[in-house]
Amino acid sequence: MVTVGGVLGSIPRQLFLAAGLVIVGVILGLAAGRVNRRLLRRVGVPEAVEGTAFERTMRGFGTSTVSIIASLSAWFISGVSVLAAISVAQIDYLDDISAQVTSLLPQLFVALIVLIVGIVVGDKVELLVSERLKGIKLPEAAILPQLAKYSVIYVAVLIALGQVGVVTGALVVLLGAYAFALVVLGGLAFKDLLASGAAGMYLLLNQPYGIGDEVRIGEEAGIVQDIDVFVTRIEEDDREHVVPNNKVFEYGVVRTRRD
Amino acid sequence: MTVIEDTVGDLAADVNALAVFGPSSSEHDRYVGAADESDLATFVVGEENATGADEFIELPLEFGDVRDRIRFGIEGAMDRGLVEEGDVVACVVNVFSDEIDTAVRVRVAESLHTGIYDLFVNSRAEPSVIRDVLELVIELGKKGQKGEPVGALFVVGDAGKVMNKSRPLSYNPFEKSHVHVGDSIVTVMLKEFSRLDGAFVISDEGKIVSAYRYLEPSAEGVDIPKGLGTRHMAAAAITRDTNAIAIVLSESDGLVRAFKGSELVLELDPEEY
Repeated sequence: MVTVGGVLGSIPRQLFLAAGLVIVGVILGLAAGRVNRRLLRRVGVPEAVEGTAFERTMRGFGTSTVSIIASLSAWFISGVSVLAAISVAQIDYLDDISAQVTSLLPQLFVALIVLIVGIVVGDKVELLVSERLKGIKLPEAAILPQLAKYSVIYVAVLIALGQVGVVTGALVVLLGAYAFALVVLGGLAFKDLLASGAAGMYLLLNQPYGIGDEVRIGEEAGIVQDIDVFVTRIEEDDREHVVPNNKVFEYGVVRTRRD
Repeated sequence: MTVIEDTVGDLAADVNALAVFGPSSSEHDRYVGAADESDLATFVVGEENATGADEFIELPLEFGDVRDRIRFGIEGAMDRGLVEEGDVVACVVNVFSDEIDTAVRVRVAESLHTGIYDLFVNSRAEPSVIRDVLELVIELGKKGQKGEPVGALFVVGDAGKVMNKSRPLSYNPFEKSHVHVGDSIVTVMLKEFSRLDGAFVISDEGKIVSAYRYLEPSAEGVDIPKGLGTRHMAAAAITRDTNAIAIVLSESDGLVRAFKGSELVLELDPEEY
């Protein structure tokens, strides 16, 4: 007679342990998913990702960014428990694979999270930049938000690839060249603007001359109408000179006293 | 009833243009759409162009008096060349409710041209700055300083020339500050400072340049209505010597008056807003 107890007894002890581990892991994973979901909601992630292309796509699939990240964490914990169960059960032929997968799993998880965060942040950056450019009715300006978005996503992809161990040397060099070009060209383009801004800060803080004073800056003379961070407006009869503030430091100011 | 219907018919007979004041979208479709079919020159007057009308004249503030509202609209239309002197304009406007409930027939005449529209649109300072100052003055006129009526003089725009033609009565409390008239803190601040003598000077962009200014324009040949005091005289005179406009709150009668080019162009009672 083969009893039920006998059958159960013939199954190795480790298998029970392994099954228990899997069950506990899945429960833990689900719990972690739930906690994460609440945490993300509490922190205000749904409001932050509102309106981004990624969120809208996810909504199209009937899910959301928050639940994607939450279920990712749930799957991660369940996956770890399954791997632990396999090693406990000492299934020999699986050992090799499991060792590799175990080392790769956390990296894969981090890479996925980085990718999602990168895409969402990229979308958000695009939204913010285009919001700022709304006042400028110039078709060419539409490329700037796109550029900002893909720059962010590119960096995220780089980090994600680096996590899973893909060789990204060439891509990093490309990124370096891009950043270098941005800094150098930006520096060249904004040179005068930055100089004016720095001079303007001094002028606004110390006010060596104020609105209503009669001044001469280089060639231009007249009554000061307005001073802002970048320019000083000087009016002479019907002509208004808009003088960049760095000219103030280049030529100095001659102020005419009335009394 | 026929008498009334005849009257309404007479109002609408032989008009050259139709002015629609603050229409809702259904009202816009009804009036503007109908007028388009009959080739009648039509324009919309309101605080914002919510219905996307082609010809739109923006009201800078909520005129409580219907006459002021219509006057502003007609003036704007004259300025833009939509109507000419001698034209008859039918105005549909809301008086007692949010819906259009009144029709007014106006013959465009030079006497309608008081310069309110010109004050806002063709001044040096931004229209929004003038509106902010006007709102500030109206509020100051309503509440006064601790219940006591106060007087105040604001010179708006062309700040450089105004500063050049004035001198400080005391230290300028706005020195090295960068506050603008639209800022929320300003109302409280100006209420406190309004007990100071002298004028406030505000730049084209709305920056408060100075308080405590004693204006020194030459008042020669400046003609303002008799009975107004030195504050009004100074206000009128500074607008002749510079391209600024001046907004005055009278301490004695509590009225708000605006001057441009040494002319009195606007007179309103703060209590009506």
